Amino acid sequence: MSNRRLEVSGLSKTFGPARVLRGVGLGVERGELHGLVGQNGCGKSTLVKILTGVYRPDPGGSITVDGRPLGLPVRPAAQREAGVSVVHQNLGLVDDRTVWENVRLGRYRAGRVTRRIDRAHERAEAARVLARLGHPLDVDAPVGRLSAQDRAVAAIARAVQDHQPGSGLVIFDESTRALGREARARFYELVKSLIAEGTSVLLISHQLEEVVEVTDRVTVLRDGEVVAAGVRTAEVDEAEITRLMLGRHLVTHGRVAGHVRDELVADVRGLAAGPVSGFDLAVRRGEIVGLTGLVGSGFAEAAEAIAGARPAASGTMRVLGRELDLTRRRGSTQDFVAAGVAFVPERRLEEGLAGEMSVAENLTLPRVRGRGSALRTGTAWQREESAAMIAKLDIRPPNPQAPISTLSGGNQQKVLLGKWLAGSPDLLVLHEPTQAVDVGARHDIIDAVRRAAQDGCGVLLASIDPSDLAVLCDRVLVVRDGRVAARLEGELEPDAISRAVFGDGDGGDGGDGDAPGAPDVSGAPGANKTSDTSEAGERSGETVER
Amino acid sequence: MTDTELVQEGIAPPAAARPGGVIGALAKQIGSRYAVVAVWIAMIAAYSAAEPGTFFTTGTFQAIFDSQQTLVFLAMALLCTITVGEFVDLSVPSVYGFAATVLPVLAVEHGWPVWAASVAAVLGATLVGAINGFLVVKVGVNTIVVTLGMSTFMLGISLWISNMNTISGLPAGFDKIAVTDVGGLQISFYYGLLLAAAFAYVLWCTPLGRHMRFVGANREVSRLSGVRVDRIRFGAFVAAGALAGLGAVVGDAYFGGFNASSTSSLLLPVFASVFLGTAVVEPGRFNPVGTFIGIYFLSTGILGLQLLGLQEWISNVFYGGVLVTAVTISTLLRKRVV
Repeated sequence: MSNRRLEVSGLSKTFGPARVLRGVGLGVERGELHGLVGQNGCGKSTLVKILTGVYRPDPGGSITVDGRPLGLPVRPAAQREAGVSVVHQNLGLVDDRTVWENVRLGRYRAGRVTRRIDRAHERAEAARVLARLGHPLDVDAPVGRLSAQDRAVAAIARAVQDHQPGSGLVIFDESTRALGREARARFYELVKSLIAEGTSVLLISHQLEEVVEVTDRVTVLRDGEVVAAGVRTAEVDEAEITRLMLGRHLVTHGRVAGHVRDELVADVRGLAAGPVSGFDLAVRRGEIVGLTGLVGSGFAEAAEAIAGARPAASGTMRVLGRELDLTRRRGSTQDFVAAGVAFVPERRLEEGLAGEMSVAENLTLPRVRGRGSALRTGTAWQREESAAMIAKLDIRPPNPQAPISTLSGGNQQKVLLGKWLAGSPDLLVLHEPTQAVDVGARHDIIDAVRRAAQDGCGVLLASIDPSDLAVLCDRVLVVRDGRVAARLEGELEPDAISRAVFGDGDGGDGGDGDAPGAPDVSGAPGANKTSDTSEAGERSGETVER
Repeated sequence: MTDTELVQEGIAPPAAARPGGVIGALAKQIGSRYAVVAVWIAMIAAYSAAEPGTFFTTGTFQAIFDSQQTLVFLAMALLCTITVGEFVDLSVPSVYGFAATVLPVLAVEHGWPVWAASVAAVLGATLVGAINGFLVVKVGVNTIVVTLGMSTFMLGISLWISNMNTISGLPAGFDKIAVTDVGGLQISFYYGLLLAAAFAYVLWCTPLGRHMRFVGANREVSRLSGVRVDRIRFGAFVAAGALAGLGAVVGDAYFGGFNASSTSSLLLPVFASVFLGTAVVEPGRFNPVGTFIGIYFLSTGILGLQLLGLQEWISNVFYGGVLVTAVTISTLLRKRVV
């Protein structure tokens, strides 16, 4: 126990009614590369914020480094003394400052009288650390002009400069997001050289592929609990970790017969948005189309452009014959809403709901002008609509006057979905609709989306969650490097979706991975699909073994 | 790594009801909503006890309720922009000062009919609001910078066109629109009352008000819900200018003229009453009814202190002190409520 570099035990954290961490434990050995993974909202970032002293944990937990307890809440000085440092998301560098300024930030030694920074000393110190890492850089170069890989070196140098070689713990919190594949390889070489010296590393990453490849052991968090503690990475694969991250035992959703009808709801052509270009999509009534890919592949931008939330570089869309301009930056999505397009955005409290307003006010917002008169919002329809949605989605507490911020994440997400479903949209664009919600809420959300499709709504589901996609979608488009790299349809398996997303050679089956330019991609699959489901009305469909 | 490890414990349902009975909760609600009103009544009682001969009289009562009309207009103007999330429109008093100067300058020095001068003053103020709105909403300049600059600029213009003099001598009869006795109070008091009531109605009962509050709460949420965010923000600046202009017409009629150099003394009372309003009716939120009550609360406090023999300086101490106290209290209330 005391042998470990980092030992976390019994750590809990409560925010208002939400318990985001429950008795979490984590052990990192000396000289170990330990991975920490989990879905968004599983408590990873809360754990890191406790480790770095941003949050104060609930009483009762403990954190020890090399056997010595770290006081809670963690104070920055104690953290540094214990040799724990963090490399933040996107490396946390200031681009227009030099390498030495960035590396030495927070440690500048100033002259006794003048309080001037002792430049010579700082430059020498920065150079010393870089030399120790075996990656000398020009310490006077502005960080912004460095290659991605050298930037990573500077960030690591800052993190390890106070460590005695072979001691300490470096936490990489989604540090590699901005790095390309090649830079990432070099980055991990450097990390491994730290490990070889005896320093420990806690790697937090969404890139499961990498986690499996580079770490010694991995800890999986789900809904604030450790579901797998320090599993040897050699003994698991990506699919297994994914299952651990998402795994649920009570979801009974199987696939059900599709309700795809012939009428086209939305027809998108030649869409270019973010990294995506030449993207075509046709959604039929009752059809649920999945859109997925790696973070940064562009699938999310495509969905947002289709919903009118962000301007596209080019592209046209017709919704039930009505032409909508995708390229305009709009001060309001009013025209999309009027055309029957609804958008459930990813970040529910930034883009979806106003936390300080009530459930009823949020639910009815898109229709308050249309259904009210200029002088009255009208109370009867609002009461009816909120009551109906609260009942339909089982929103708790069932109080339409409760401020959104007092609801749990899952119930907030239900309100967000209800806000749009109440308007009976023709095209429903969902972005990570089950992110950071508990099992029960996910169940209800999936049910509601499915019912909307049965009622004739066309659904576009943009998600990185393969089990959501597998359970809901009639077909899935996988975006890689801005192109549709694979199309999956028929019997969808989460593993197959994951493989297609990660683009491994053995995956990507089911889709022909071709011709992103082929204009009429969706006609054929749609038709296929209908014939295909009619014979298998209730396919087994358990898509995730639970 | 067995399947049993996948089994998840039941998730605790979200805390449904808070402990404490319904009546207790209701009492707490009323307590946090109307604490300021209680303090107000206590203050009146204390002053009446301290100054039995002078404070609790009709004259004092009229002095409190007849003197704050301009402040009501200005506070409502500030509320327009605050409601939609533009936190500090510092230019409201100067826009008022500008309109209040333009009116007598045109009517007295240039011989315009007084109604035409009034219309010109209101239009001028509205235009300044539109310029603010354009710079903040369409161009995206920081609100504080725009309104601070505009405030100083308009003050300078007002001082210039008035030659730094008090301009009076408005035609007889014009004052009737502000100074007509209705039930013991001047008619202009009722303008303020009506304005606050209308504002409250718009905010709470109309789709426009709902949209305004959502824009103030979260712009991106509103935009993605089909609310025309920029139009509403721009409209708020224009309305703020127009209200400041209307307030200037009422104020000129009431005072018979205006001295532009007194403009800056309006800034703190406006902010103090608007912020104090967040401690009334809707705890932690800006609202017109709370603001209206806040104005007369402050006016009562200052008049009482002056009757006790304290000098001019007391209004600075009182407004400033109450502003900080009120905002502190409403911040704490908000933390508890939300």
